[in-house]
Amino acid sequence: MKQKLWVLAAALGLGIAAAAGAADTVKIGLMAPMTGSWASEGQGMKKIVELLAEQQNAKGGVLGKQIEVVTEDDGGDPRTASLAAQRLTTKGVAAVVGTYGSSVTEASQAIYDEAGIPQIANGSTAIRLTEKGLKHFFRTAPRDDEQGRMAAQTIDKLGFKKVAILHDSTSYAKGLADEANALMKKKGRDIVFFDALTPGERDYTTILTKLKGANPDVVLFTGYFPEAGLLLRQKKDMNWKVPFIGGDATNNADLVKIAGKEAADGYYFLSPPQPQDLDTADAKNFLADYQKKHNELPPSIWAVLAGDGFRAIVAGIAGAKSADGGQISGYLHKDLKNFSGLSGPISFDAKGDREGEVYRVYKVDGDGKFVLQKL
Amino acid sequence: MKPRPEVLGAGAFVALMAVAPLFLNAYQVDVLNSIGLYALLGLSLNLILGEAGLFNMGHAAFYAMGAYTAAILNTRYQIPILWTLPLSGAVAGAFALAVARPVVHLRGDYLLIVTIGVGEIVRIALVNDVFGITGGANGIFGIGRPRVFGYVIRRPEQFFYLIWGFVALSIFLFLRLKKSRFGRALNYLREDEVAAEGSGIDTAYYKLAAFGLGAAWAGMAGTLFAAKMTIISPESFSFWESVVLFMIVILGGAGSIAGVLLAAFLVVGLPEVFREFAGARMLVFGLVMMVMMIFRPQGLLPARGRRFPWVASAGALKQ
Amino acid sequence: MEEFFQQLTNGLAVGGIYALIALGYTMVYGVLKLINFAHGDLFTYGAYLGLTLLTSLALTDRLGFAAGVLVLALMVMGLVAVLGALLERAAYRPLRQSPRLSAVVSALGASIFLQNTLMLIYGARFQVYPDNILPAATLNIFGLYLPLMRVLIVLASVLMMVALYLFIQKTKIGTAIRAAAIDQDAARLMGIDVNRVIMLVFLVGPALGGIAGLMVGLYYGQINFTMGWVYGMKAFTAAILGGIGNIPGAMVGGLLLGVIEALGAAYISLAWKDAIAFCVLILILIVRPTGLLGERVADKV
Repeated sequence: MKQKLWVLAAALGLGIAAAAGAADTVKIGLMAPMTGSWASEGQGMKKIVELLAEQQNAKGGVLGKQIEVVTEDDGGDPRTASLAAQRLTTKGVAAVVGTYGSSVTEASQAIYDEAGIPQIANGSTAIRLTEKGLKHFFRTAPRDDEQGRMAAQTIDKLGFKKVAILHDSTSYAKGLADEANALMKKKGRDIVFFDALTPGERDYTTILTKLKGANPDVVLFTGYFPEAGLLLRQKKDMNWKVPFIGGDATNNADLVKIAGKEAADGYYFLSPPQPQDLDTADAKNFLADYQKKHNELPPSIWAVLAGDGFRAIVAGIAGAKSADGGQISGYLHKDLKNFSGLSGPISFDAKGDREGEVYRVYKVDGDGKFVLQKL
Repeated sequence: MKPRPEVLGAGAFVALMAVAPLFLNAYQVDVLNSIGLYALLGLSLNLILGEAGLFNMGHAAFYAMGAYTAAILNTRYQIPILWTLPLSGAVAGAFALAVARPVVHLRGDYLLIVTIGVGEIVRIALVNDVFGITGGANGIFGIGRPRVFGYVIRRPEQFFYLIWGFVALSIFLFLRLKKSRFGRALNYLREDEVAAEGSGIDTAYYKLAAFGLGAAWAGMAGTLFAAKMTIISPESFSFWESVVLFMIVILGGAGSIAGVLLAAFLVVGLPEVFREFAGARMLVFGLVMMVMMIFRPQGLLPARGRRFPWVASAGALKQ
Repeated sequence: MEEFFQQLTNGLAVGGIYALIALGYTMVYGVLKLINFAHGDLFTYGAYLGLTLLTSLALTDRLGFAAGVLVLALMVMGLVAVLGALLERAAYRPLRQSPRLSAVVSALGASIFLQNTLMLIYGARFQVYPDNILPAATLNIFGLYLPLMRVLIVLASVLMMVALYLFIQKTKIGTAIRAAAIDQDAARLMGIDVNRVIMLVFLVGPALGGIAGLMVGLYYGQINFTMGWVYGMKAFTAAILGGIGNIPGAMVGGLLLGVIEALGAAYISLAWKDAIAFCVLILILIVRPTGLLGERVADKV
């Protein structure tokens, strides 16, 4: 038995000591939730970034070297994320893409910043992430305050008076709900309901019954797609016809699958534009390639934004003619203007936020298609 | 008297750990830091679960109490983070005493679900920004770096010495405690509560004391965690954390300090080692947990029958 | 008042599922004094197996709705039961003479293993049952909205619970299970094959968990590999609430927990729903330390 323990201990030691060998490649890190609750997002991110790297390498890579994507699992939890970040910093990556989830990203920010490695987050919309003055932090995702403004504006334009707001107590959904709540109250909208559901459950009829009692004209749900799908489905079973508006975390192809086409019909949501609504040749070609390789569309826009982060990094390395973190960050801040991203033009401001109006309003039609609205 | 092998082993372990940061990169040191924090938490839970035999699967609640106390004091009142250690411990301990008082007499599995419940209630309270001081789901950020004698602790290897120094101190104190009258009373309680009561041990008092002390230690570990992460949020204190700590204590061998240390290495270290398996890493981890338990049902380094059962080579005596 | 009754029925529908899963916890606990933390994952397997069988065999197309679902349910129950028995063999039997908590850790390891196996087989994305399998009729009784399926779910749960209760109380095998639950050694001396009893418990409990998974899949449509963790936790709470080891206790505990959650969410706070449920649980345990229907027994040492 003693021997077994030693073998285990030795295996552990070896694993930790397994260091990365330097080679003639440019390494770009990807930090993504490969396991845990958000594994579907993480796996989509990985597929997209690896396909983009493959294509870039076929075109000769960057700086005359091949690109190597180094993926680390952050498990969708902050502590694992900080370890994943430490691990990437020791692997000699030029820059890092990721990750999904604001608090997970936040746990890794300081580590990359202290190591001087540029990080481009893809699914992290919390406002404060870019309010800390970090030199090396960027994001291709928009910010919650912009989305909150957009939500209030959309409800205004659609002419709803009594609004119910439902979030799920996550950092992201609560932030968005608070933002929209404050803006709508200022404009004199009647907020008849403001509360949170517990994510990860199956039965939300209790909540719907309570919502119905408040008798709103519209329900703004700021949480994620699995719950949104169930809410729509159970709302239909209740024969309750109130319209729902969702935030960008409900922009996921699985939403319609979960809700069913009939129940999803008429659902509005805010989101950065869908890849298929972009007319750039880049985006169209890439999506066709992706579909050919994986036989499905990317799970969500967030995975596509990871792809944009990757492309921005490649452009940064090529533009700065260096794989040095400081130079890449400098280039991204100052010189990368209206770069053609899959999700639209990309420029970063001094804080590292993406410039420009990103949000659009979508409505689900009877066939379960996401249709861009002109309001 | 010849030095016992376990003493030699312990010496070698201490020497190895002392120089480890010189040979490891930042990531590897940070894994050791994570292991150190879990070892600390495991040791504190060991007092409750291992020594006193009280089924506690909500230890993250006490850990969270300490971390939040430290974070609130630091960010609101600018109290240096390490100065908050005693208070974080006291708050976590007092909270544990208050919640354990009415339920500590419950039979094993009923106590288990109550502690799970306490853990969940604390987490939900944190998420819902109870009293407006916990920052809700965002948590608390901008926690100051600790200072020791004027030096700012920032890098992984600096934290390594802070954390493992605290682990060493804890081991020393817990070993003393184990051999004391108090420690023996707890073991008696665990082995046979009825007989312990019959021999005049105030079981309720000792159970509560174990709860309070273990929770206080977890609270202090929380302070170190807050100092290291500089941001804390409720998801770091989920039910899963309590489960991991529970596994560490039982896997190591309830009541065995060396066992808890080894198990902390395995439970925190293995998922890192298994990163090579990518998506399958947790699958392999689950399998390894099962297999280890089946081959070592008493725990990897069981406590019983040894005077200094805190070294990996201790088994040599019997073999 | 209408809303109150609506919430009550909402709670009962959720509670029926909790109760079915809780039965698996309580049966295993009754005989082995083991908390089978992997039970929730067997429930998830029920949901996934149901989906695979449903789509690959097209049962409802060939046999019609009622017969198709019945055959599907039997197949799922059978497969999950086998899985449960395998789990017992691999993870628990070697630990039967060991400290109780060692088996708990083995169970946790098994839970992680089972969950991640599903993730690797089916992928991490949500899986969705095909739409329009179930009749979508909604009953409207005195202004209460009651989808037919919810009524059927509660009825099916109650039916299975009653059947199980009769099986345990009235049959010879049931008597053997009860005997083994009270004292394994004595049962062995009376000529009962305790190993077979344990095997049986690990067939029946998971079968009920599996059928609960199938029902959740059929009715709610959306399943994912981590869902067993949430349901398992709730069901374990329900089993404790009713008094673990006690079969009517699991039923009462499950239904009651569903109702407490629904009413707590409706009249106190949505966001604090789970905290409210746990507070009620703790209060009940302070007053009745062995749950609602649990027997007051001295701790066996």
